[in-house]
Amino acid sequence: MNGQRPLRKLALAIVAGTGLAVWAFPVLWALLTSFKTERDVLAYPPKFVFVPTLDNYREVLFGASSILPNLASSLVVATLATALTMLFAVPAGYALGRLRYPAKRVSGFYVLATQMLPPVGLVIPYYLALQKVGMLDTYAGLVAMYLTFSLPFAIWLMVSYFEDVPLEMEEAALLDRAGRLRALWHVILPQVRGGIAVTTIFVFLNAWNEFMFAVVLGGNRVRPVTVAMFNFISVEQTQWARLAAGAILAMAPVILLGIFMQRHIVKGLTVGAVKGGGRR
Amino acid sequence: MIEAGGVRLEGVVKRHGATTVLHGVDLAIAPGEFFVLLGPSGSGKTTTLRILAGLETVSAGRVLMEGIDVTAQPPGERDVAMVFQSYALYPHMTVAGNVGFPLKMIGTPPERIEREVLAAANKVGIAHLLQRTPGQLSGGQQQRCALARAIVRQPRLFLLDEPLSNLDAKLRLETRLELHRLQRSLGITTVYVTHDQEEAMTLADRFAVFIEGRIVQVGTPREVYDAPQTVDVAAFIGTPPMNLVPALWDGGVARIGDAVLPVSRSGPRREVIVGVRPADVRIAAQGIPATVERVEDLGDSTIVSFDSGDRLLKQKRDRVTDVREGDAVRLGFAPEAVHLFDPATGERL
Repeated sequence: MNGQRPLRKLALAIVAGTGLAVWAFPVLWALLTSFKTERDVLAYPPKFVFVPTLDNYREVLFGASSILPNLASSLVVATLATALTMLFAVPAGYALGRLRYPAKRVSGFYVLATQMLPPVGLVIPYYLALQKVGMLDTYAGLVAMYLTFSLPFAIWLMVSYFEDVPLEMEEAALLDRAGRLRALWHVILPQVRGGIAVTTIFVFLNAWNEFMFAVVLGGNRVRPVTVAMFNFISVEQTQWARLAAGAILAMAPVILLGIFMQRHIVKGLTVGAVKGGGRR
Repeated sequence: MIEAGGVRLEGVVKRHGATTVLHGVDLAIAPGEFFVLLGPSGSGKTTTLRILAGLETVSAGRVLMEGIDVTAQPPGERDVAMVFQSYALYPHMTVAGNVGFPLKMIGTPPERIEREVLAAANKVGIAHLLQRTPGQLSGGQQQRCALARAIVRQPRLFLLDEPLSNLDAKLRLETRLELHRLQRSLGITTVYVTHDQEEAMTLADRFAVFIEGRIVQVGTPREVYDAPQTVDVAAFIGTPPMNLVPALWDGGVARIGDAVLPVSRSGPRREVIVGVRPADVRIAAQGIPATVERVEDLGDSTIVSFDSGDRLLKQKRDRVTDVREGDAVRLGFAPEAVHLFDPATGERL
């Protein structure tokens, strides 16, 4: 028995370490590459000891091909899409999770069904639709298209959080003369805070990381960072070091968000798993 | 006419799709009364309570409070307070926040809320816990918090849904006493749901026995215990419940198998069900032959189970010294202790 414990721990550490290494490798590789010169990048065998340079960051931030406007563009698109999504998803999730109405099953299935469509099949119709209304390469157009897939996803997530709030709690609030809206505001929403945080983060990340719709529906005015980075890859040459620096800058907000909101995310993800976990 | 706090149900029917949960319930609860809805699970008692609260609509019938028809009123307008079985406390608020919530919702000034919250908390003995959150309270403390939230705004009707069922046995007895004292001191009409007949017997001014969506008897605990109106009520009230034996009623006697036992009333010869409370069963020189199957010593009392061939009969007595498991005895009872029921309808004769 005594011998098993440390062995078990070691095995777990190896599994976790391997998992972490596989996950972290591309990020670390990009991080290393971003500090190399183009010459060092192409060296074979790869160099692990080199003179680090900040030239790549200088170039992608302040040079001719600066991605700063694109980072701003991404921020505008992701923030707008997230804000609008949550504005509609919270009440919709509440309605689907709580209210009894005849078409509930059907509408719940519809929400899920929209998630099953392959996005690539939608790009062309979306392009044509936006072109017809003259909204190609506009923030409004891109955000509207993002809503079509982020909203069903967010509603679906919010429904499960709302369903976890005991009905009796809401009934108690109704008896306490809160009325439905104040019961929602004072009693129900505070219970799903964690869920709202998680959903907001997921929606924001999806919008921030999105590439395909952005590259097709965007243009010169609306060009998120994911699309801008693509410009470092051209027919003649690929500027790997700059691409890496751009990638690190694009990933930074996402990783920071993940680290700061870690507690919320884990809590929000496990609330549904343990019944009543959100109540204690 | 009904005074302040009086409640009346008239022909209340509740259907869920094809199933009928309540088959026309009529009930009149007097102002200030402690009224218990008693019945096994699924008998419709909680549904009735929720209809009083306005949390369920009725399929037919009317709900009247102080003579006014409130059937269509939403819960918030009925001026009723409810303690849920799960307590339904708001986990993100402190005890003070929970108790003060109903006052906040009607726009009470903060200083007054603070005063009233403290007063309500004092009444149930949780004044020292006001800054905690529900998650930091024991089950008993949570229950008191729910009580305080219900009494804080002095509702005209106080509804309790099995409020003691989540407490351990000792705490349940203590809280039962306190609940009764609290209700008496506040004088608020109270409707209390339970499946525990002991709670009903000890708490109620009057209670209604629900069986399969119908009220089968309404009365004081003494009335219902002494004269159960149906076999079902007889079988539900009392620990252990009444012994029920098929018999032939013939003049002034009941024939049970070969045994002939005198009863207090005489009537035409017919099939009946004879009911005898376990406390009224005696070991006699003549009577129903039986074997002692089990002697359960509860300390202050003893339950003896007898096997009389095709059925088990129970006796409850203070102490037992004269019988042992396996003994062959004869069982009898005083003629006035006998209840007679119609075997076809189950009604009391």
